[in-house]
Amino acid sequence: MSVIQLENVTKIYTIGEVETRALDGVSLNIEEGEFTALVGPSGSGKTTLLQLIGCLDRPTSGQVVINGKETTKLNRNQRADLRKGTIGFVFQFFALIPTLTAYENVEMPLLLNGQSGAERKKRVMELLEAVDMADRAHHRPDQLSGGEQQRVAVARALSTNPTMILADEPTANLDTENGQQVMDIMAKLNKETGTTFVFATHDPRVIKYARRVVTLVDGLIDANGKGQNAGKTA
Amino acid sequence: MASGKLWTIAYRDLLRNRRRSILTLLAVALGLAMLMMFNGLIAGVWQDALQNSIQLRTGHLQLRAPTYQEKKLSLQWQDLLDNPGGLATRLNQMSEVKAAAPVLWAGSILSTGDESVSLQIFGIDPASPLYDPIRESLVSGDFLTPDDRSGIMIGQPLAASLGVGVGQRVNLALVNADGNAETANFTIRGLFSTGIVSYDESAVFMPLGKAQAFARTGERASAIVVLLHRQDDTDKVAAAIQSQGVATLTWRDSNQFVLQTVETAMGFYVILDGIVMLVVAVIIANTLLMAVFERIREIGILAALGMKGLQIMQMFLFEALILGLAGIVVGFALGSVGVVYLSNVGIPIGAAASVAGSNFAIGSTMYAHYAPGTFMWLSVWTLVFVLLASLYPARFAARQEPVDALRSL
Repeated sequence: MSVIQLENVTKIYTIGEVETRALDGVSLNIEEGEFTALVGPSGSGKTTLLQLIGCLDRPTSGQVVINGKETTKLNRNQRADLRKGTIGFVFQFFALIPTLTAYENVEMPLLLNGQSGAERKKRVMELLEAVDMADRAHHRPDQLSGGEQQRVAVARALSTNPTMILADEPTANLDTENGQQVMDIMAKLNKETGTTFVFATHDPRVIKYARRVVTLVDGLIDANGKGQNAGKTA
Repeated sequence: MASGKLWTIAYRDLLRNRRRSILTLLAVALGLAMLMMFNGLIAGVWQDALQNSIQLRTGHLQLRAPTYQEKKLSLQWQDLLDNPGGLATRLNQMSEVKAAAPVLWAGSILSTGDESVSLQIFGIDPASPLYDPIRESLVSGDFLTPDDRSGIMIGQPLAASLGVGVGQRVNLALVNADGNAETANFTIRGLFSTGIVSYDESAVFMPLGKAQAFARTGERASAIVVLLHRQDDTDKVAAAIQSQGVATLTWRDSNQFVLQTVETAMGFYVILDGIVMLVVAVIIANTLLMAVFERIREIGILAALGMKGLQIMQMFLFEALILGLAGIVVGFALGSVGVVYLSNVGIPIGAAASVAGSNFAIGSTMYAHYAPGTFMWLSVWTLVFVLLASLYPARFAARQEPVDALRSL
């Protein structure tokens, strides 16, 4: 079953009188449980594609269907509701809230979902243990290393049991060891929970984890052997 | 989402930039403290002016002949009260009445030989508690006695300007009830100083009997002045003493000029209060706007996690509320200390300023008055201004598109 369907999606940014076509008629289906890498050089449209899938932005034209729901006509609040129940995000720069502890950062999406106290606490500790951060639960981001912060971000993304996790260059600011650790955790969670992972990267060490690779070049999916289905495993 | 976590974020965000938060809090606190001291002084000045006027001039109630014209200080028999003594005795028997006594007012010219000055004669019953404030402000000589036929009391500033003192003789002239000029020599028995320079320079006291004889008014008086134990009983007593042929004036009627001036002035003070609150509001708005710009990235993250615009707005409003409330608590404490200090020590404005406001019984020192009701309202309005000012930055934060906010990642 497709959890993500993009139909002829175009995104044009207009700055002054200059138009930049970030995506140019992209169509893409991603099935439940996939572990997909969006690859391509800088400016190829990877982040834009993730933002559209994540309902953080709306396409100029085309359709974005998430879990069977057409999202382009949704208003700001409807998109926020869809995000908090369906989509988890992991950003490049360990995007944690600096005033909250690791525990509180993971707890935040659960609070937004209105999950009750005891259940919430159990879930947060389970996730922190899953990313091996339980002993650092009450540390604030500035007391954690980059790798630790990104592990907390992964735990946070998973907290509401989302259908999919979208990760934008999740290892870009990590050293090899930490990058590998984060990818190992994501791959493991994908296998164990069946959560769909889509991540943008141009790091070959990360691409090797992907069971499917989608290559973007100049806002188009590269159909030259490295296209939509390239790298797809059985 | 439990708003508890929004409070936590708001509180911790304020601690994150402590110096800025403290400076903003101080702006609120100092603004409120300033408003409290300013309003306390204004309340003190007006209240003192009114109470001084009631105590020294008008009393809480006055009974007069219906035709009496205060501005003319008329001595015509038809404008005066007949048998004021009997009426005053009945009034003094009422439990609400502290003191009631007849008084005869007359315009006069006092001459020392070298100089002369126009002033107002108060023919009084020296034994009445009505004149306790004058008795208490005696600075030299003796207070008048009812049977004194040639003694007067004048204010110390007047005596000083005329170069006369206790025991010296001065000449008083007036146009009596028959319309004829009348002069007589009097001996200064005592000097008083109420602190109200305009009053001390324009009043001369003599026993009622002597004043009546001097002005040829017989047993008549200009008015009966009534002082009550409680100002709130004014209307009740006024209603009880209504009688035909006598006009009853409350302290509101007698002090209309003061009250109307206060009412007009209050509009001006409200504008001044509003300006101070506006300045505080701009500081708060500026602080929050800086906080929003600094935290655009976090706003984007929270929005990506599913936080709605209203919740983001709430978070910034909570920050403003914490800053506002803390500022108000500190400001209220500072302002209270300031007002208490000003109510005890006061601000000297000098005799000239006091005389300049000769229509008001203002002393040469302004004292503040602790007005809890006014201060509570000022606090509430300060908080309202703070919250209104924070609406713009909070709304600005809430309207950020997540994708734009995250672009700074």
